[in-house]
Amino acid sequence: MNPLQKLFSSMRTSSAGMAAERVRMDVIARNIANAQVTRTEDGGPYRREVVTFAAIVDKHARGGASSMPVARVSQDMKTPFELLHKPDHPDADSAGMVRMPNVNPTQEMADLIASTRAYEANMNAQDNFVRMAERALRMAQ
Amino acid sequence: MDAIGPDRDQLLLRLMSAATQRAKVLSENIANQSVPGYVRRDVRFEELVSARLARGGEGLDAVRPQVVEDRATPAGPDGNNVHLESEVAAMRENLLAYQLYAQMLDGRHSLVQIAIQEGR
Repeated sequence: MNPLQKLFSSMRTSSAGMAAERVRMDVIARNIANAQVTRTEDGGPYRREVVTFAAIVDKHARGGASSMPVARVSQDMKTPFELLHKPDHPDADSAGMVRMPNVNPTQEMADLIASTRAYEANMNAQDNFVRMAERALRMAQ
Repeated sequence: MDAIGPDRDQLLLRLMSAATQRAKVLSENIANQSVPGYVRRDVRFEELVSARLARGGEGLDAVRPQVVEDRATPAGPDGNNVHLESEVAAMRENLLAYQLYAQMLDGRHSLVQIAIQEGR
């Protein structure tokens, strides 16, 4: 792999980081948007989605193994649904309790900030390569 | 090793190549900052080169950049030891080093240019 191609492969790594963070942001947006949904197609309230990150390792990459992050989306089965007393709500049970989604908007906002920062860092890393490549190009002048 | 011979050009080019490789490894650290259990990595080259040069530069051509796992930096609760601030700092430092090597190489080429034009 020549040095220029190496530069471009670093840009792809940063893109993979940004893509994974964007999946996380999409999930956060979906959780916040559905924070009040008490009736879904599956029946029951909306269940919060969580993103887990894993690394795909390419052991055969030149110059040692390289790893790219991927985001996986799953449902949060651990956090319990919130119970609210709303006897006039159409989805209330006989005791007047409504099961609300297990979404905590404050938690989601905190995650969103972390994700935004991570996205920006990947962007800066990519910008860094562009400057290296531009410097190399100037040498040819 | 003479002042404007190809040896130093070769060394500067290898330093630039190592910096390119480091940029990739650091960008991997940043991309994997949310992956549980990820261990940050770095590239060692400059210290290996200067150790050889201190001993007279013998066997300098055999020195290759090494990708090393950094297990010294303490990990957070998820086992990931990437600290965003230090990665960004390392990345900036690496960019400056790369620019410095390029600048030195440029300077040497213009010296050769002057020699070819007999100082005109």
